[in-house]
Amino acid sequence: MTEAGVLLFIQCVLAILVIYWISIAITMVYRKNRMRALERIEHTFADIVSRYLYNNEDDPLLISEINDRLKAVGIRKGNRNNVQYLIRLMIRTQRTILGENYYKLKKLYAQIPPYNASFTKISKWGWYSRARGIREIYEMNQSQYMNEVFKFQNNKNVFVRREAQIAMVVFMGWESLRFLPYLKRNITLWQQIKIVEKLYDLYPKPEMKWLKRAYKTDKLFGKKLLMRIIRKFELHTEIPFIMEHLEHPDYEVRETAIYCIQTFALSTERMDYIKDVYERVANPVQQAQLLNYIYENSDIDVDFYLRQLHGDNDELKLNVAEILWNNGHKEKVQEFYYQQYPENSNLNVE
Amino acid sequence: MRKVLVIQEDLIILKILERLVTVNHFDCKAIRSLDALTIEDQQSDFEFIITDILFEGIAPLEFVAQVQEIIPHKNLLVVTNMGQDKIKKEIFALKDITGFYAVPIDLDEIEATIQAYS
Repeated sequence: MTEAGVLLFIQCVLAILVIYWISIAITMVYRKNRMRALERIEHTFADIVSRYLYNNEDDPLLISEINDRLKAVGIRKGNRNNVQYLIRLMIRTQRTILGENYYKLKKLYAQIPPYNASFTKISKWGWYSRARGIREIYEMNQSQYMNEVFKFQNNKNVFVRREAQIAMVVFMGWESLRFLPYLKRNITLWQQIKIVEKLYDLYPKPEMKWLKRAYKTDKLFGKKLLMRIIRKFELHTEIPFIMEHLEHPDYEVRETAIYCIQTFALSTERMDYIKDVYERVANPVQQAQLLNYIYENSDIDVDFYLRQLHGDNDELKLNVAEILWNNGHKEKVQEFYYQQYPENSNLNVE
Repeated sequence: MRKVLVIQEDLIILKILERLVTVNHFDCKAIRSLDALTIEDQQSDFEFIITDILFEGIAPLEFVAQVQEIIPHKNLLVVTNMGQDKIKKEIFALKDITGFYAVPIDLDEIEATIQAYS
């Protein structure tokens, strides 16, 4: 390589390095400014909220003043990132406060920007902004958009659908179960749990009218959701609904029913029914769960266990034997196992 | 004027509590972490300390113990995001805790406590 070539190479490398350093410097300055701007928004918002909640009568904080101050720190229509940050602060604040001040905050939120930011989001094409918009609408309780949000409950995107369903629960509570038979797409396990938890947090008093109407649903996810609700709210009168599904042809529905029934203690008659079901359920894993439930929630029914021991269900015989053995029926278990050997064989026991 | 110390990392809760305390005619010192505490603060006797328990680099119980040890005060209220029953029990097992409020909080309750004890 000639001298000129080497020089050119060094110059190139230096130029790249300089560009690299400059870009680092620019991003650092930008980030610093951005952090400062966000901090300013947070400070202003914190100050506004605290003064609004505890307003000084001699020097009241007016809505016009609030809007001016928010504008001054960069909450403007064109600046979407700032608006988004403010929305996050608003939701966070609303979540931390209860009681009368919660309603005060709600009143404040209705009067300050972003007036339409969440609604604009749900009209967008992308699923991410839609889901986010719906979430903001229910988190901030903007019930005026209820009808718009409900349209999304059968949306093909799972996240949009999910948020829309939660929004229904938040806005309508138990009445939202009315729509359950009309839902077309699957509700995943996590979504079921989320719905149940939301319902429990916001509407702890059960309204049986809506629950009973929802029983008509023929969707499997609907049945599972209803059983989970019965379990969470400990609705003893509704146990028959769970019991009906213990023998459902679908494995997962049965599984949910078994899981939910375990929360309840049952009367002797109902326990007898469960024992019948136990004999009819074909899956050994589920049988084992039922056996465990029967054992823990009822007195030792020797006839039942002996019938299982002498029956043809080999996979659970050991469990049955263990229960009998541990509950004072050792000799019956011994008798059962001895009889498997021919009479003249030499058993090594005393 | 009687003094109250508020320690909260969350700026919004900090400001709201500061305001709540001020309208109840207390002199309020509001800080976001113990680092902001001055030597004079450590010598003044606070009527109340309203504090979070979740701070970087220190376990909740240890934090409370430290606050109790280094800052002279009459009553200690805990306002925190960590509302699990286990934490609550552990905090109350410590000595001299006046109240424990987990998020979401009802500010009126805290105000009533301040008025009742002062």
